[in-house]
Amino acid sequence: MTIESKKDAGKLTLTITGRLDTSTAPKLEEELKASYDGVTELVFDLAKLEYISSAGLRVLLSAQKTMNKQGSMKVINVGEEIMEIFEITGFTDILNIG
Amino acid sequence: MTDNILLEIKHLSKKYDEAHPLRDVNCTVSKGEVISIIGPSGTGKSTLLRCINRLETPTCGEIYIMGEKITDDPKEIRKMRREVGMVFQSFNLFSNMNVLENIITGPVMLRGTSKEEAVKRGMELLQMVGLSGKEHHFPDELSGGQKQRVAIARALAMEPKILLFDEPTSALDPKMVNEVLYVIRGLAAKDYTMLIVTHEMRFAEYVSSRVFYMDEGVIFEDGTPDQIFHHPNEMKTRAFVNHYHTYETTFNDNKFDLAGVTAELAEFVKKQYMNQKQQTALEHIFEECVVVELLSSEKNVYPVHFCAMCGENGEDCSVELTYCGVPFNPFDREESLSIKIVKPFLDEVNYSCNNGENKLLMQVKRL
Repeated sequence: MTIESKKDAGKLTLTITGRLDTSTAPKLEEELKASYDGVTELVFDLAKLEYISSAGLRVLLSAQKTMNKQGSMKVINVGEEIMEIFEITGFTDILNIG
Repeated sequence: MTDNILLEIKHLSKKYDEAHPLRDVNCTVSKGEVISIIGPSGTGKSTLLRCINRLETPTCGEIYIMGEKITDDPKEIRKMRREVGMVFQSFNLFSNMNVLENIITGPVMLRGTSKEEAVKRGMELLQMVGLSGKEHHFPDELSGGQKQRVAIARALAMEPKILLFDEPTSALDPKMVNEVLYVIRGLAAKDYTMLIVTHEMRFAEYVSSRVFYMDEGVIFEDGTPDQIFHHPNEMKTRAFVNHYHTYETTFNDNKFDLAGVTAELAEFVKKQYMNQKQQTALEHIFEECVVVELLSSEKNVYPVHFCAMCGENGEDCSVELTYCGVPFNPFDREESLSIKIVKPFLDEVNYSCNNGENKLLMQVKRL
């Protein structure tokens, strides 16, 4: 998994490529913890995300909780397979998917 | 021991310098039972038969025939062999004797039957195996199927209590397989007690009263033909009878290489012509059920064994997970994110726990 980070004032966009699973999720979590400061709008671009497991979902959930306190969060460009996982786990009701 | 039990085997083991085909074989065979012994090559099926009639000396364990323990005493062995007939893959007829002589020599020399009586019985047996008129032919003049039928008649001439067949059709031209199987089927109908090592699955299914699936040097599963061929309890049996391909991996502690297993699963999927959705399903099952629910839990579940299998072109894909510890079915935790993710990929989930071993069988949806 690779994370491409782009910050524009208070807006942070993270483009995730590859697999967000038990092995790679901690890396995203670290990246987020180091970047939250001053962020009011967090965007996850998942166009190149191939696979997400419960470990990846937990990181998104934790990010959503943090951003609820300091701004907003949006998930964009969600592919079909990832969307199916969001749907069956009820994450379509938790996340703001655009 | 009841009168009905003809053969009893206890903890039979046979070890060679470089192989250990039989580790711990235990079984009883009652009068009239027809038992087919199936399993992958090299799992000790033929060695088992050869130990029963002492063509091989067991490393340890005990064999009882009609309640009598078989020992290494040559006199005892000769006595036992009168009761246990054997039909070999390669016929083993005496090439210098004609068909009838092959059949009557045993009864005359070993049983003390009169020649006249032995000839009479020999002719009856030849008729039974469909070889009337061939009594004066020599083995070289017969086809493979005919030779094997003579070998069967020869074994029957000794009036054995038990008949052992060691892959009786493996050396035959496919065209001749049926004529031999037909004769053996006839014997089954006549209540002969038989143990048949065979690779002919349909034959084993229809002729047997019981089937032994042998693997790893033991009788891995012992059941009716319906159980073994249609509802086996063991994953290995299921994979064997359906010619399934498998991917297996075992974890003895909580260390795992997710990327490594994912790559191996991808390779398995590619080799079996499975599709991308099936690959995703297997990856999710592995990560959510094995990594999250078992390996990352604090539970003592080791060893954890993961086995994915499928038929030709990725059909009938399933996963079996076995693990130790207290009874635990992850699918009871419906609120778990992992279970929510995995469930839509599955048609059926069966959980059982026996003697401290948890077993989870998951049938993957046709995707």
